[in-house]
Amino acid sequence: MSHLSARGLTKSFGSLQVLKGVDLDIELGEALCIIGPSGSGKSTLLRCLNLLIIPDLGEVYLDNVKLTNPKIRPEWVRQQIGMVFQSFNLFTHLNATKNVMLGLRHAKKVSRAKAYEKAVFELNRVGLGDKLDAFPAQLSGGQQQRVAIARALAMDPKVILFDEPTSALDPESIHEVLEVMAQLAKERMTMAVVTHEMGFAREVADQVVFFDAGKILESGTPNDIFDRPKSERTRAFMDKILR
Amino acid sequence: MTAIPTDLGGRAPPVRAPSRVRALRPPYPVRLLRRAIPIGVGVAVGGLGVYVIVGLLGFYGAGDLRSLTAFVVAAAMGAGLSVVVVSARWFDPRWAGRLLTWKVWRSVLMGVLAGYGGVVFLIGLGRLGFYRLAFAESQVPGLLSGFTTTLEVVTVIVPLGFLIGFFVGWARTTGSLFLRGFGAYYVDFFRSMPPIALIFFASLVGALSLKNSGIDPYTSYQITLWLGVIALAMHTGAYQAEIMRAGILSVPAGQTEAADAVGISRVRSMFFVTLPQAFRISLPPLGNEFSSVIKDTSLLFVIGWYDLSGVAFAQSSTAGVPPTSYLYGSLVIWIVAAMLYFVVTYIVTRTVRVVEDMFKVPGLEAARQ
Repeated sequence: MSHLSARGLTKSFGSLQVLKGVDLDIELGEALCIIGPSGSGKSTLLRCLNLLIIPDLGEVYLDNVKLTNPKIRPEWVRQQIGMVFQSFNLFTHLNATKNVMLGLRHAKKVSRAKAYEKAVFELNRVGLGDKLDAFPAQLSGGQQQRVAIARALAMDPKVILFDEPTSALDPESIHEVLEVMAQLAKERMTMAVVTHEMGFAREVADQVVFFDAGKILESGTPNDIFDRPKSERTRAFMDKILR
Repeated sequence: MTAIPTDLGGRAPPVRAPSRVRALRPPYPVRLLRRAIPIGVGVAVGGLGVYVIVGLLGFYGAGDLRSLTAFVVAAAMGAGLSVVVVSARWFDPRWAGRLLTWKVWRSVLMGVLAGYGGVVFLIGLGRLGFYRLAFAESQVPGLLSGFTTTLEVVTVIVPLGFLIGFFVGWARTTGSLFLRGFGAYYVDFFRSMPPIALIFFASLVGALSLKNSGIDPYTSYQITLWLGVIALAMHTGAYQAEIMRAGILSVPAGQTEAADAVGISRVRSMFFVTLPQAFRISLPPLGNEFSSVIKDTSLLFVIGWYDLSGVAFAQSSTAGVPPTSYLYGSLVIWIVAAMLYFVVTYIVTRTVRVVEDMFKVPGLEAARQ
C-alpha cells in the first residue's frame, strides 16, 4: 500500500455533501498536486487527511496504520502530517522562532534548547535565518508563509499538506514560496499540494489529480492531465485556464 | 536563498504502529490527577506561606492567626498567588519575574505614599487650625483599620472574581453544550441581580442555615461575612466572564486550526495560543472591572463589615450628630476614605497596565498609542 492513502472518504456539512467517496494514494517521496475549481472540496479533502475534519465515512492509512481508528489520537496523527494554510495562520503573539518551536515544545515535548536549535535550522532552511526574532506582523506575506512551512517541517512530518499556499500572495512572494516548495519536492519530501499554480503543478508534481464536485475525476502524470485530459470536464477546465 | 541541506527532508523511515503510551490517551481520572496534583501542591504551599507571612507581619494581629477569617484570607491569597505563578509559567517562565518590576513596585509605593501623605496632609491642616486636630487624630486609627480590612477583602475578591470570570468565560466558548449552558445561565443570573441584593441573600441564607448548626456564634458570623464577599466575587465574575469570552472570540479560528495542525492538545492550545492573544484584547476592560469591583466592596458594610466605608459611615454619622454635631468633620472623614479607595484602585489599575505591556506584540501595538 502506498505511503498515505484514503479510501472512500465521505463528508457532508448539513445537507451539502462535499466529499463523495474519494480514493487517493500518495507514494513515499511523491509530490501530488490537486487542482480543480473553487468550492469543489479540495480543502476539505486535505483536512480529512490529517483529521482536522473527521470524515463521515472512509479510512485514511499512513504506512498501513489506520488513522481513522477512533483509538488513535488526532493529535498524534497531526504530528505525523504537517499542514500549511492559505492564510499562513502564524501565531501572531509569537516571533518566528517561537512559532516554529511551539509544536516541538508542546506536542513533541522537546526540550527548550533542542527546540530552539531545530527552529533555527528550519528557518535557515527556508531562507529566513535573518528573521529569527521578527513577529508575523513585521514580515511580508511570502516570509510569513515560509515561516509556516518551517513550522510544519520542524515536526519532521511524514507528509506535508499545502492548502493553496500561494493564493494570498503577490507574484513576487509566490515565486519565493514556490521555490522553497520545489526544493522540498527535489529532496523527495512527500507532499500533497492544493494549488491554482498550474506552472508549478506541471513542473514539480509527480502526480496530478483533477478534483471536481467532491470527486476525483482524473489522475495521472502532469503531461497526461494537462496535455491529454481524458474526461470532458477536465478538458473544459484546461481549455479555460491554459488558453 | 541559503543552500538547503539535502540529507534531511525526504525519505522518512516508515511509520511504526503507534505504541500504546504515545498514541493512546491515559484514562480521564489519571489525566485529571496529573493536572490536579501540581495545582493542589501550589495552592497548599502558597496558602500556607502567605498564612505564615501574614501572621508574622501581624496583618490580622497575632491572636487572630487561628481565626477562620485569617485562614480563609490566607488560603484565598495563596490560591490566587499560585494560580498567577502557575499561569505565568504556562505562558512564559520569565513573566513571573517580569511582573515584579520596578514599574509595579513604583506604583505600589506611590499609591501607599499618596494615601498616607493625604492623611498626614489633613492632619497638618488640622495643626494649622483648619479644623479640630484632636478630632482628626481620633479618627485616623479607625480609618486605617478599615483600610486594612478593605485591602483584605480586595485581595480575595479580585483574584477570586478573575478566576470565576476566567473559567466561566472559557466555559461559554467550549464545544460542550452543558458548559455553555451553565455559563450562559450563570452570567444571566449574576449580571441581573443588584450586588447589594446578592450580598444580603448570601449572608442571610448563611445565617439561617447556620442558626441551629451548633457552630459558635463568632465563627458563624465570620462565615456569613465571607459569604457576602463570595457573592460579590460571583457578581463581578459574571461581568469578567463576558469580557474573557469577548477576548477569546476575538482570536481568529485560524489560530486554533494552526495549533491543531501541529498536534497540540486543546488545553495547551488554549493556554499557549488563544489566551495570550485573548488577554491582549481583554486586559483593558478587565482593569476597568477590577477598579469597579474594588469600589463595590463599599457595599459590604450593609452586612456588618467594618471596611473603609463601614468605618467611615459609622464615624461620620457619630461626628455629625449631637453631642459632637461636627458636620465638617463628617466631610473630612469621607474625603480621607475616598483618597484611600483611590490608593487601592490606583495600585491595581497600574499593575494591570504593566501586565498589558507584557502582552504587547511588536507590529500590532500601533492601535494602543
